Amino acid sequence: MSPGVAGALIALSLVALLLAGVPVAFALAAVAIAFLVVAEGAGALDVLGETVFGTLDEFALLSIPMFILMGAAVAASRAGADLYEALDRWLQRVPGGLLISNLGACALFAALTGSSPATCAAIGRMGVPEMTRRGYPPGLATGAIAAGGTLGILIPPSITMIVYGIATETSIGRLFLAGVVPGLVLTALFMAWGYVYAARSGLRLRGGGRRYGWRERLEMVPRVGPFLAVVVGVLWALYGGLATPSEAAAVGALLSIVLVMVVYRVWRPRALWGILKSATRESVMIMLIIAAAGLFGHTLSTLYVTQAVAEGIAALDVAPWALLLAVNAFLLVAGLFLPPVAVILMAAPTLLPIVERAGYDPVWFGVMLTINMEIGLITPPVGLNLYVIHGIAPGVRLSTVLWGALPFMLCMLLAIALLALFPGLATWLPDLLMGPVR
Amino acid sequence: MRLTARAVAALSRLAGIAAAVMVLVAVLVVCQMVVQRYFLHQSSVWQTEFVTYLLIAATFLGTPYVLLVGGHVRVEALTERLPPRLAAWSRGVALGVVATVSGVVAWAGATLWWEAWANGWRSDTVWGVRLWIPYAALPAGFGLTFLQALALLWEHVARGAPPARAPEAGE
Repeated sequence: MSPGVAGALIALSLVALLLAGVPVAFALAAVAIAFLVVAEGAGALDVLGETVFGTLDEFALLSIPMFILMGAAVAASRAGADLYEALDRWLQRVPGGLLISNLGACALFAALTGSSPATCAAIGRMGVPEMTRRGYPPGLATGAIAAGGTLGILIPPSITMIVYGIATETSIGRLFLAGVVPGLVLTALFMAWGYVYAARSGLRLRGGGRRYGWRERLEMVPRVGPFLAVVVGVLWALYGGLATPSEAAAVGALLSIVLVMVVYRVWRPRALWGILKSATRESVMIMLIIAAAGLFGHTLSTLYVTQAVAEGIAALDVAPWALLLAVNAFLLVAGLFLPPVAVILMAAPTLLPIVERAGYDPVWFGVMLTINMEIGLITPPVGLNLYVIHGIAPGVRLSTVLWGALPFMLCMLLAIALLALFPGLATWLPDLLMGPVR
Repeated sequence: MRLTARAVAALSRLAGIAAAVMVLVAVLVVCQMVVQRYFLHQSSVWQTEFVTYLLIAATFLGTPYVLLVGGHVRVEALTERLPPRLAAWSRGVALGVVATVSGVVAWAGATLWWEAWANGWRSDTVWGVRLWIPYAALPAGFGLTFLQALALLWEHVARGAPPARAPEAGE
């Protein structure tokens, strides 16, 4: 079997299994095992156990469940509602203010968790019903939350970037910092679209609720402030080189749980157990995908598929911008079918050397890859955020959500273009705070 | 058979509880390590390795539980549009794939565990853990996932059209 044929067959079988509804982790493992046995014989299975175990044998991976736990603690409390309420009080008089508050709350919440579905669920649970009640079209309301939720993996901390950092041996702290400015730019683009839409259709006039005074605005600060302080503390420890991501995340998780207990009085064992249980569920799901993607990657490189793809692309000898376009197209398509973590583990180690040879920066590429993955989160068939939104607003048709999310997807494409034109958007902050790489 | 399926589900839930406890212990141990290293300025010996293995064990032991409650991400775009008969078939096939994969990984894990046990392998760190201990999570977790997938498959076939997600106790 030539590497090209093997690669095509592997891709086809994977898509077939995924469409049949096999869980992503098991589909990856099934294809990996089957092709390994076909190509190398049953003896190739000797390394199976070590490969699965070895993929997860990495201390930095621990930061994933820790950040998930941190997010789950905050998500289980009223913190999301308070964030949202606080922004609404501050931004009430702006056209489309409610929509803009929701997007802002998504961005802030993204800084509290590293996960997009968590952000989507926490803000959407309050945001979608409230926006619909105040006369925002359901498509706009759900689309905005679906898109805003994807900021979870761009604004630090970000599980996607942790996985990219591990897979490509890039500094996770640097990656996190690189996501800050593009995250803000993307949030601003989202808000700008919300503003334009609302200003054009006069949404402000439709029952904006009561007016808030300065006292009511300020009283929200102590409720959300401590959580933001924890996040800033965690990130500061990371960038200052004081602690590794796993250490910072573990302390952040413990502090978040303590804060949730103190500020929101979530102290019943049942509620705390619920937080731990949901965090465990999500971690297990992600970690198993990572283990399976490790096995998948092992098969691809054993069958020389990875090397053939890399050589094929290198042999094309196209201009860097054309290469970048091709890489982005590939990532977009892969992101449609696979969750970000799986795409990154499979694609990043292959693509990064090519992209680097074309003269691009690995940290910058990580950010671009992440925005690509964000688009995949709100497009079928594996748009995790779409499922979350569907769970929150079952009455809104999926096609309505998709149409509502479309302008926001265009904003993401615009952000990718901006990032390609101005790489400094990603590299400036890490260079400033951590010094240049070389 | 029904009793067996229930027993397997109970085991999976138990394994899920063990996984959650392991995650919690990992948080506490890392925090303890942070205090020891950054505030007491002592070097840590066992913590990094211990929590890494703990997390691996949590992942493998949590897998059957997450399968039971339908928590593994999958593509539902096509299957939910299929006619009921076809959808039932594809669910059966999906569970069959999960069972097969888990069976193979459990078997490979058992081989690895046996080798580590028989040869007395230790990790090449200061702590030098006997490797059969962390390796045990591989056959245990995937063995249980294998049984859980078979139990779900049996329920699926016996009932004709079971729920796509098993309801979770206490929720």
